[in-house]
Amino acid sequence: MSFAGYLRTMLRECRGAAGRLGFFVACLAVGVAAVVAVAGLSSSLDSGLRAEARQLLAADLVVEGSQPLPPGTDLLRSIDLPGVRRTDVKEMVTVVSAPGVAGWPGRPGASQLVELKAIDGEYPFYGKLELLPRSPLADLLRADTAVVAPELLSRLGLKVGDPLLIGGQTFRIAGKVLSEPDRISISLTLGPRVFLNGAGLGRTTLVARGSRVNNKTLIKLPDGASPPEVTAAAGRLRRSLPHPSFYRVETYREGQPALRTNFQRIGTFLGLVALLSLFVGGIGVAQSVRAWLASRMDAIAILKCLGMRPREILALYLGQTALLGLAGSLAGMAVGAAVQTLLPYLFPDLIPAELIRVRQPTALLRGLGLGLGVAILFSLPPLAGVLRVPAARVLRRDAEPLPGHRPIVAGTLAALAAGILVMAALQSGSWLRGAQFTGGVVGVTLALTLAALAVVWGVRRLPRGFGGFSNMAIRHGLAALARPGAATMGAIVALGLGVLVVLAMSLVERRLSQELTSELPVGAPSAFLVDIQPDQWPGVERLLRQAGASRVESVPVVMARLTAIDGRGVERMAGRMPRGGRRWALTREQRLTYMAKLPEDNVIVAGKLWSDPRKAEVSLEQEFANDLGVGLGSTLTFDVQGVPIDLTVTSLRTVNWQTFGINFFLVVEPGVLESAPQQRLAVAHLPRGGEQRVQDLLAARYPNVTLLKIREILEKIVHVLRRIGLGVRFLGGFTVLAGIAILAGAVSAGAGRRGLEVALLKTLGVTRRGVMATFAVEYALIGLVAGVIGAAGGAVLSWAVVTRGFTLRWEPQTLPLLAAVAGSILLTVIAGIGASFRALERRPIEVLRSP
Amino acid sequence: MMNASLGFSTEMAIPRIELRNLSRRLPSGDRILTILDGVNLALPAGEFTAVLGPSGSGKSTLLALMAGLDRPSAGEVLIDGVPIHGMSEDQLALLRRHKIGFVFQTFQLLANLTARENVLLPLELVRVADAGARADELLASVGLEDRGHHYPSQLSGGEQQRVALARAFATRPPILLADEPTGNLDGTTGRRVLEILLDLRRRYGTTLVLVTHDPGVASLADRLIHLRDGRIERQESPVIVSVH
Repeated sequence: MSFAGYLRTMLRECRGAAGRLGFFVACLAVGVAAVVAVAGLSSSLDSGLRAEARQLLAADLVVEGSQPLPPGTDLLRSIDLPGVRRTDVKEMVTVVSAPGVAGWPGRPGASQLVELKAIDGEYPFYGKLELLPRSPLADLLRADTAVVAPELLSRLGLKVGDPLLIGGQTFRIAGKVLSEPDRISISLTLGPRVFLNGAGLGRTTLVARGSRVNNKTLIKLPDGASPPEVTAAAGRLRRSLPHPSFYRVETYREGQPALRTNFQRIGTFLGLVALLSLFVGGIGVAQSVRAWLASRMDAIAILKCLGMRPREILALYLGQTALLGLAGSLAGMAVGAAVQTLLPYLFPDLIPAELIRVRQPTALLRGLGLGLGVAILFSLPPLAGVLRVPAARVLRRDAEPLPGHRPIVAGTLAALAAGILVMAALQSGSWLRGAQFTGGVVGVTLALTLAALAVVWGVRRLPRGFGGFSNMAIRHGLAALARPGAATMGAIVALGLGVLVVLAMSLVERRLSQELTSELPVGAPSAFLVDIQPDQWPGVERLLRQAGASRVESVPVVMARLTAIDGRGVERMAGRMPRGGRRWALTREQRLTYMAKLPEDNVIVAGKLWSDPRKAEVSLEQEFANDLGVGLGSTLTFDVQGVPIDLTVTSLRTVNWQTFGINFFLVVEPGVLESAPQQRLAVAHLPRGGEQRVQDLLAARYPNVTLLKIREILEKIVHVLRRIGLGVRFLGGFTVLAGIAILAGAVSAGAGRRGLEVALLKTLGVTRRGVMATFAVEYALIGLVAGVIGAAGGAVLSWAVVTRGFTLRWEPQTLPLLAAVAGSILLTVIAGIGASFRALERRPIEVLRSP
Repeated sequence: MMNASLGFSTEMAIPRIELRNLSRRLPSGDRILTILDGVNLALPAGEFTAVLGPSGSGKSTLLALMAGLDRPSAGEVLIDGVPIHGMSEDQLALLRRHKIGFVFQTFQLLANLTARENVLLPLELVRVADAGARADELLASVGLEDRGHHYPSQLSGGEQQRVALARAFATRPPILLADEPTGNLDGTTGRRVLEILLDLRRRYGTTLVLVTHDPGVASLADRLIHLRDGRIERQESPVIVSVH
């Protein structure tokens, strides 16, 4: 047959298929929509971040480090371009407060943890800083003024013009900051913003007392600097830095690598959840194709009889599948694009609308590719059935099917498995994760199928009239569930998968929120106090005790940098490493402490504590030692604020981090660091609700001390987790939707049988309502089975995630499980009755008369 | 008629269809059901053979085996001297495409194709250049020139069977197998269909094997085969010399 003839025959063969194959298109479209929405959002965020990169950096180049650049570093000269400008920025977290009542030391003003930003120079170079009053920041900021976020004003009950205490000094609030170019609306922040200028910060005790400061230098190249010039300038800058590994040089051209990596990670995770709904849609596709081919058996036999070769018929239906796959993918692409456009408005908390770029052709292409792939791969096993249709059917309807070809069956299944793997690898960007995902999906699907089979097997073996089910509707429903070859099996599995995903995610999320917001572990501190000067500690401790604090502990902290391991320079080692993990461990600013005896939650696993009287010893946390690549006997050289010190590793230990106690990677033996510049870190358990008062008191008396409320920080983390959980549940909803489409497809594929059944029941005198009740019971049972299996699966999965992934105690939650089962039943009944509506409406005689 | 007699005389040596010791058995529950039992038959090219017999005597199975729609349990089927029992499904499909036309009691038109498209399909399969014109011509020859755009469900039984005839003769196959083509039609309509069938056969010199219950139809055949319980009970040639 010619290609044109083939195409014509294929198109003709689609006639009259609209109703049935509509479900094919719907199942596929749902999954494709999910994939396109996720891929679109994640790439639009990515391109948004790139496009806005200059504004997000507020400069062309930024040099960032925990230490200020050493004096004498002339960044601008090293860049060597005329017209370069710089602005120095210091960022830190501290507590500010409203002035107390004069003469009442026991009545301090309200205090608040804030993110302080001190600016010396022009800011921002790019992007918009919205202030009220509308003047440049430099005009509002003087040595004694501050510009603050409106949130701070409302928390402290202040207004513009009022005084504000920062680091022991009084500032006048000169204005409000409404938005900043380099602060994204959805990022996690510890507190509202406070702006000072350099002179203002200099007046306070904050920097002088050695608080933790993030030093940034924003650099603006002359207008019209080409991208290569920016990169070249960054290179020159890096080479001119005295300790390149202490600082990070970032250009706008890199487009917020850290932020983008985070979004990409979330995008990959959500992409896999979307892929799952596409695979569930694939089950629906397979089922639609199976039902469609079952109805085309006669036609296939006639085609064979007319001399069409089996492979030509296979190609005919494969082509038809591809065509439908195209239709489903296009529909899904349209829906996905719409969802992607609407989501930022639906969830403004989740997606920064300002960064969205709507047109994402690669996301659409990805949807098209995956949609077509799923359509064809999932159709292959049922399509192979075409080969088995006996031509002899034209003479005898009951002609036995031709023998199956084992290699063909095995081939289609292998192609399906390989296809799933390739698609998962594509979505996750890694073969390993793709394989894990594929394994998980195949395993869970098998488990659900087995469970569904077991239920059907069990129902079939129930004695008739079981449990006194004299009610006809229930008897009929049970019988329908157990009917051999019922197409509902796929629906049960798909719906079960959907329930599983949605439920597991919400169980995990609930458990995490519960854990993070419930009463902290017994004995755990509820507050961290940082940046305490050694001479302040007795006073701070007294204050805490008076406020009812229990289990107060404090240790000294000495900041230092690792310069060499066994005599080999760390900077040279780190220079060759990629960013992250090991490099971070080597080059970060290290916190050392010293003590004679380790806290109880530390266990020595190698060596012996303080065992070598000839050497200055250090004890390392085991995993940190692995990251550094050192072991017992290694010598670590530290630069303790200008003084080199050699420490020998004589013990390794494990730490139970969950107790929230004070723990350090590096503990030095007493007698080594006592005279080094240091601060103290303290933890305390404060009576519930007492944290705020302690913070207020501390802010008034020890303004450089920052109190971090653990509960509040955990709540912020929960908030972020909830946002991601919301995304997962939203996508999981697509899986449920695909399950519903499958069910509706299965029900309507059996419409002929269904119609006959209705006709017979009506003829026997059952009312329409009675018939409807019978069907409702049948679908409710399907929903029940799918719901129970899915809920059980979801519980197991969330148990695994909670106990293995988060190492938390498992706590059974009945309500969500019940809600999942009830929801599954409700949806199934609605979809089932909806799809049988035509059968219910028909007059008995129409059905009984037709052959 | 000249064509037919020429074909008859030149291809006498090799029968168009030959069955050698042909048997077909089917498992039915625990038992084996014998449907055809050692049938031997040689049908010369151009001959019209009628197969008679009660229900369940194996008539339809005989047709199915001749066309390679079914496979024998024992024995051989040869078409133009070539054994077909060892052929693959693909080879059998090609054999049917080029050599065998069918007409069925239940018409077996493709429901989602129009009458004309049903006739076109075999022509497209063998890539006839002027398929459209041929299909129109064939529809005209069965008296349905203005019903080509109708779907089978919009046609009467007799009309559907005429479309089936046009389709069966479309590629001018040397063999036509007909399974009770008038069985589902009333007397007048059935006769009209049969007239057309025989007329087309005469025109193209087709070897025709026709299964029927109707002695009137059978009386027009060159050869009569009586089947009973899967065996040929007797063969006769009632009108071997009669030329219409």
